[in-house]
Amino acid sequence: MKTNVDVQIPLITLVGPPNSGKTTLFNILSGKNYKTVNYPGSTVEYYTSRILSRYNINAELLDSPGIVSLIPESPDEKVAVDSLYSHPKLGVPDILLTTVDSCQLSRHLLLPKQLISAGFNVIVVLTMTDILAKRGKKVSESKLSKELNCDVVIVNGRSKKGLENLLEIINSKIDRLNEFDKNKITAYNSGENNKTSLGIFYEIEEILKKVYEPLNPDKKIDLVSANKELKVLKEEFSNDGFSPDELTLKIDRILLHRFWGFVIFLLVMGLTFTSIFWLARPLMILVDELFTDLNSLVVQNFKPGWFTYLVSDGIISGTGSVLVFVPQIFILFLVLGLLEDSGYLARGAMLIDKPLSKIGLNGRSFVPMISGYACAIPAIIAARTIPNRKERLLTIFIIPLMSCSARLPVYALLIAYLIPKDKSWLGGIILGGIYLFSILTSVVVAFVINKFRKKIFTAEESSSFILELPTYKLPKLSSVISHTYNSSKQYIFRAGPIILGFSLVLWFLTYFPHISPQIETNGMSLGQKQNVERSERLEKSYAADLGKFIEPIMLPIGMDWRIGVSLISAFAAREVFVSSLALTFKVTTDDDQSQNTLLNSLREAKIQSTGEKLFTTATTAGLIVFFIFALQCLSTVAVSRKETGGWKIPILQVLIFTSLAYIMTFITVNGLRFFGVQ
Amino acid sequence: MRTAAELNYGEIGIISEIDSSHPSSKRIIEHGFTPGQTIELINKSIFNDPIAVSVRGTLIAIRKCEAGCIKLK
Repeated sequence: MKTNVDVQIPLITLVGPPNSGKTTLFNILSGKNYKTVNYPGSTVEYYTSRILSRYNINAELLDSPGIVSLIPESPDEKVAVDSLYSHPKLGVPDILLTTVDSCQLSRHLLLPKQLISAGFNVIVVLTMTDILAKRGKKVSESKLSKELNCDVVIVNGRSKKGLENLLEIINSKIDRLNEFDKNKITAYNSGENNKTSLGIFYEIEEILKKVYEPLNPDKKIDLVSANKELKVLKEEFSNDGFSPDELTLKIDRILLHRFWGFVIFLLVMGLTFTSIFWLARPLMILVDELFTDLNSLVVQNFKPGWFTYLVSDGIISGTGSVLVFVPQIFILFLVLGLLEDSGYLARGAMLIDKPLSKIGLNGRSFVPMISGYACAIPAIIAARTIPNRKERLLTIFIIPLMSCSARLPVYALLIAYLIPKDKSWLGGIILGGIYLFSILTSVVVAFVINKFRKKIFTAEESSSFILELPTYKLPKLSSVISHTYNSSKQYIFRAGPIILGFSLVLWFLTYFPHISPQIETNGMSLGQKQNVERSERLEKSYAADLGKFIEPIMLPIGMDWRIGVSLISAFAAREVFVSSLALTFKVTTDDDQSQNTLLNSLREAKIQSTGEKLFTTATTAGLIVFFIFALQCLSTVAVSRKETGGWKIPILQVLIFTSLAYIMTFITVNGLRFFGVQ
Repeated sequence: MRTAAELNYGEIGIISEIDSSHPSSKRIIEHGFTPGQTIELINKSIFNDPIAVSVRGTLIAIRKCEAGCIKLK
């Protein structure tokens, strides 16, 4: 009996053009407890939820991606339109709620008209009537309803005025569902589509002449504002009743100013970029410390053995490496969400589109790219906002080249090794140079990959940049936060298990088979003892075998198996490289002096087979170059796999960037040696 | 014949037709660029491309190569 009821729960799908208030309506109807559904085999995502129980409507609500028309162009649009007709998991919608910005009826009515003629059971929801009222106009619900031949209801997204009307209409539609025949929904005629769309637009222009009405036509008003209003009316009606928002135009005079607009853009992006760095840092340290403490708690309180280490270094540290990115992801999505909601992000994309289009990218690639300097994971997720699939894949492809913050400790150690103690200012210059170099190389790589794009990204799409610049408004904090929360949750539950899985494999490689080394540990502190054990274990581990196995390819770039092992462990997370290096070089002190001790033992290290000095200026510079290029981050691979919907791109990324790293390191090391730098 | 790509700052034009041989023509029409509509060039980016055009009361950023298929009277 219960399953029977479940089957009969009506499906209400929300559909509408971007910036039409669709998501706001979804949030009002669903509360915040929605879940995300992937359309099978694609990265197109949907949100679904039951309608809040207090509204007394037993129906499933589905939020679909914003579309402008029923005729799809890109593969992602096709998925969006196809699932509107019949969602693979939820079926054919019983009711379509389509949101329409009442200030933009002239453009937004296209989709509802297409939906109605396709035979859907449509309710048109008019949004943003408060903004229209400020311009002295209103829309007649009844007239529009008559013209469109469907239910029309005005809902205010902020005050929720009109919501009861909407609920009533939904309820009465649900009661009369048996009158609605789903089989009558027909595929929208995509034959001479330009002509059809033009025809609809002419019909819309006729409709608009009837449905727009002046607000309070006989209101008593003082002369000054009357004159103002007259002027506004005159201007607007001279232009068929449509003119952009005055305030938006004024703000754009500054924010889209030819020169200052670009300066402001660089400032805003710089601020966004630094916020993910500095705001997130204390939180990341907190997460890191929490898991380190948890780890040592387990080690101290349980008998040493493979199971204890599995829990402490495998599961706890693995979970830590998933969660350590959450602060950055949260802050990044929060800041970007606020910028998006205010209407600025679209303008930023416009300002930077030209240079990026030269290397096959899009104005919208910029934000994901700079986010990559903090962490590739949120950056790759942020690339979802790029509508063109080919450009999105190319953006995701080059993101790992952005020098993420996890590389900083590695650079810091290697630079400290390179420069003389009395010239520490040189370090800053070298670090700046590394960042500049990484920008240049990512541009070159994007350019080259773009040349081969047809072979790599099978999506056939012509490059296009047509983007609505929405009216500026104050961002709605609650919806931005709830969206941010959901994105972070998605990262934890979707990418998290893969990252954890990989970390466990790496744990296995670095721990087995020599799990409990027998060593003389008298007179050592607990910390020292642990470090000695770890270093013994690592030296005889499978990872070390692997390191020795790859030593023949490490020698040409002036490195030995010990660096090889550290590079392999760095796959769990790049910052692990430093601690792993400390273990392989048996730096066993556990105090703050460890970096200096490590530096000293690096200075004395020699390649065992040849007796040459291991860390020369040439090899250290080579290692820095290696880290600039190499994709040594399993988390990135996992997220790339998830966001591109297949293994092809992540595997290509690992192969191309790692071999590029090797070749560039080879050139650097041997080039420097050729010029007499050892 | 002039196109929307050749508009100057603040200049107003009336669309005569959309070149339907252009791959983006469908998308351009769907954003409301239809014959008879008045459009105005509001802003340009520092690189002169894309441009921001107002149509039907909305600002649309569009690349010049795409604006080139919006023909003006």
